[in-house]
Amino acid sequence: MGSVVLVVRLALADVRRHRAQAAMLLLTVTVATATMAMGLSLHGVSDALYERTRAATAGPDVVVLSGESGPDVTAALASLAGHPGVVAHHGPYRIVYADLATRDALSSPVVVHGFAETPGPVNRPLVTSGRWVRPGGAVLERGFAVALGVGVGDRVTIAGRSYPVVGIAVTAATSIYPWGAQIGPYGGPSDYTGLAWMTRSDARELAAARRLPVTTAVDLRLRDPAAAESFRTTVGDDHRVRAFGSTFRSWTFTARQDMVILRNAQPILVIGSWLLGFLAVTGVVTLAAGRVAEQTRRAGLLKAVGAGPGLIAAVLLTEYLAAALAGDALGLMIARLAMPAVAAPTASRIGDAEPTAAAVAAATVLAVAVAVLSTLGPTLRAMRTATVTALAAPAYQPRRRPRLTALSALLPTPLLLGLRLTARRPGRAVLQACSTATTVVAIIVLLTVHAQRERGYGLDGSTALPNLRGLHDRRLMLAITVLLIALAVVNTLVFTWTTAMEARANMAVARTLGATPGQITAGLSAAQLLPSLPGAAVGVPLGVLVYLFFRVGDTVPPRPSWMLGAVLATLLGTAALTALPARLAARRSVARTLSAETA
Amino acid sequence: MRGPVLRARGLVKHHGRGQSLVRAVDEVDLEVHAGQTLAVMGPSGCGKSTLLHLLGGLERPTAGEVWVAGRRIDTLSERALARLRRRSVGFVFQAFHLVEELSAAENVELPVLLAGRSPREARRRASLLLDRVGLADRARHLPSRLSGGQRQRVAIARALANEPLVVLADEPTGNLDTAATLDVLRIFEDLRAAGQTLVIVTHDERVAATADRLVSMRDGMFVDDTRLTAAHPRGLGGLGGMLGLGG
Amino acid sequence: MQDAVLALLAKEPAHGYHLHARLRRALGPLGESMNRGQIYVTLARLERAGLVVGERAEGLPERPERKVYALTPAGRERVAAWLAETGWPKPDLAEFHLKLAAAAAARLADPLELVAAQRRELLRRLREVQQAALAEPAESGAGPLLEGVVLRLRADLRWLDVCERAWSGAGAEGG
Repeated sequence: MGSVVLVVRLALADVRRHRAQAAMLLLTVTVATATMAMGLSLHGVSDALYERTRAATAGPDVVVLSGESGPDVTAALASLAGHPGVVAHHGPYRIVYADLATRDALSSPVVVHGFAETPGPVNRPLVTSGRWVRPGGAVLERGFAVALGVGVGDRVTIAGRSYPVVGIAVTAATSIYPWGAQIGPYGGPSDYTGLAWMTRSDARELAAARRLPVTTAVDLRLRDPAAAESFRTTVGDDHRVRAFGSTFRSWTFTARQDMVILRNAQPILVIGSWLLGFLAVTGVVTLAAGRVAEQTRRAGLLKAVGAGPGLIAAVLLTEYLAAALAGDALGLMIARLAMPAVAAPTASRIGDAEPTAAAVAAATVLAVAVAVLSTLGPTLRAMRTATVTALAAPAYQPRRRPRLTALSALLPTPLLLGLRLTARRPGRAVLQACSTATTVVAIIVLLTVHAQRERGYGLDGSTALPNLRGLHDRRLMLAITVLLIALAVVNTLVFTWTTAMEARANMAVARTLGATPGQITAGLSAAQLLPSLPGAAVGVPLGVLVYLFFRVGDTVPPRPSWMLGAVLATLLGTAALTALPARLAARRSVARTLSAETA
Repeated sequence: MRGPVLRARGLVKHHGRGQSLVRAVDEVDLEVHAGQTLAVMGPSGCGKSTLLHLLGGLERPTAGEVWVAGRRIDTLSERALARLRRRSVGFVFQAFHLVEELSAAENVELPVLLAGRSPREARRRASLLLDRVGLADRARHLPSRLSGGQRQRVAIARALANEPLVVLADEPTGNLDTAATLDVLRIFEDLRAAGQTLVIVTHDERVAATADRLVSMRDGMFVDDTRLTAAHPRGLGGLGGMLGLGG
Repeated sequence: MQDAVLALLAKEPAHGYHLHARLRRALGPLGESMNRGQIYVTLARLERAGLVVGERAEGLPERPERKVYALTPAGRERVAAWLAETGWPKPDLAEFHLKLAAAAAARLADPLELVAAQRRELLRRLREVQQAALAEPAESGAGPLLEGVVLRLRADLRWLDVCERAWSGAGAEGG
């Protein structure tokens, strides 16, 4: 018990002294875990939202649609209700294909379902505002209504006739907006279509007046809902309904379709979280590397007073774990708050969007992994170093690189200093390159995502009604890119500052030999910029590859000028960022630095 | 050149404020002429290192003026001070302050490169100077493979790389044993004979004894200023007289 | 010893036993072996040399102990010369120590000035020996001797630092 208290006390004292490191770990882990939790939950949340809607609206297990209409079709569909596996049914009802226009001149294809004024046992759409259908009025599906910006009381024009919107409702029988039409007119392919309901007589009248295409559907509830997918085979190929080009849609199929709109969102978030985690680790590892001498010395002290290697590792680990777990908790809270916006781009389903338990666990594992990876190096070193050596704490001895030194002699002073500084810490140069590469990859993917042109959800593909999937993808990608850039910024500042601190004695000596503060600043800046160049160069093709790997179908590449501009902006941004800490470090008093080194 | 190489007037350096005010250098006037070797002695904390930093432009005085080669330096910008250090002032420190990952030759080349000369010229100067301090055979060695005395000799060679007007040395033998100290003293004697202006801060009497002029410092002020000419003449028995031989 | 005794008389005339006591006190434990007879022998010599003059206390038989000794003008000159002298024939700690004590007691000179002057002289000598040592070829064999002289001078210089510290801190102590 006593050792636990000791460990906690030591860890707390350390955190208090090095707030910047703890804060950085906390923030970066927060961002990474929030992203990962959201990304991994998407599927689970989509399913959960569908389940909730299904339960609230008595959703059908199977919807059977036919591309034709008429009494024979109706009779054939109705006969399905008598099938032994069916316990309840609704319909058959007609589906009318029309165009809808709002007062703001937004127009969209629409399918109008003709429903009774009192709902049946199956497929009872849940009214969220207003009331259910009445003669002369239309009820819009909620996802559709939100996309159009239409509310109860507004008037819409369907097939040239004006109808008041008397209510807004949700249903589980169809896919989310804009896939309200499960089949196209006459059984053909369907376009992006919204869903609306009218009374049965209104629907019939609408179809007759304009000679609009009509299809028929019936909603079935099965004895065994799990058998919904195989119901079609159960019915058999020789049933009457087969003669009329029928389509069987199970509830499991519809639930899966809900994920289509999030098809890209999942990789964006999950891979984004890995990259964020990677940047988090690189930043914290560098900060920790700057403290290696101090930590090794402290480990030596603890060993000298009798602490075992386990205790030492525990102290080092507790410090990082505490910050990482706090970040995890914060990130999960953020995920909980942001989940609805991320997992439900349309308003077609109801229910709470919560990160799934598996995603929470995975995010926590990520947080712990970040903490452990960050402490691995210092912990191993501290445990391995003999006590005596640890107390003396020798400084890091960089390797001699005669060829590099000779090469740098040919360069102007800032590059001379920069190249030699980079060579001192090759590991950090690699990290800087990776950091830049990650940023460039994200920007390239963002540009590519933005370059894609999808069909709008409006009439004839008009983008007056935006393609919600594309919009959602672009927003998520932008958010991830912004976060990655933010972490890369922090990383660059950390790298530059740590390099400057480690090299301060040598820089002070250089100043006594005649290097101006401007040259020192430029050298420190160059030390970070030199590795950034290959990083950016690698990032462009990598970014294109990443995008191609996940996209299906045609990809429109972004304009090369934009990509070049992005790379240049990243490099210039890096240069500007490094200048800040470099300038601060270059202006410190030479005399004080040199005497501190001998103290 | 005419005029003193180094000149200071009313030099003051304060640290801290109010209760914790420390007068590191308190109203010092100084002149060093070309070819002179000046030693500054005093107990630790008396401000001699600070004085050296002020003379070389590593620190700015709180008050007073410093001239190097007739040019006032306490008002120069950091950039101009850096250029001054390239051409006019060479530093030697107690802790050597060599770059650990560069060989001895590369360390000596560094100031030449910083002054904008070509790498070939830098190599030439470096091998010349290392030869002068007797380390020609160790040019490729890293500092970690050199003894303390050898490292300090490399540091002296580095300080001479750009042919400075004055070499400022801060406790150059502070970290050295007797043998190494003698090596460094030998070099200082050679430099003195060659006409190099030197200002050495030290608490080692042997080092101070190499100087032409000795200044004692206490509490930031000069308390003594002597010319160390030969001891009062005794003719041939001069040294012998010190042993009590020959009356 | 003679010069020290003269300097002690510079402040005021004194009896022989009085001088002995002051010498003993100034030398501390190192002075215990000094017997009183030595003082009177020294005083007699000084009297013969005309540097001091002894006056008998009135009404008492002629015994050395009863005499009160005082400096003559020649004696005063000798004291002044001795104070200004920086010869250091062989390291004689006691003599220099007494010089400082006497100078302070009689307010003849500032002990710190004396120390500084002696230091300058020793440094000049150190410089000479050092230059000779550096110029000496390695095979000559005189190296150790010169090194020995350097070491002694350094030790003496260190001791002068000690004196300086003692006299600047304590101020003038009464003999």
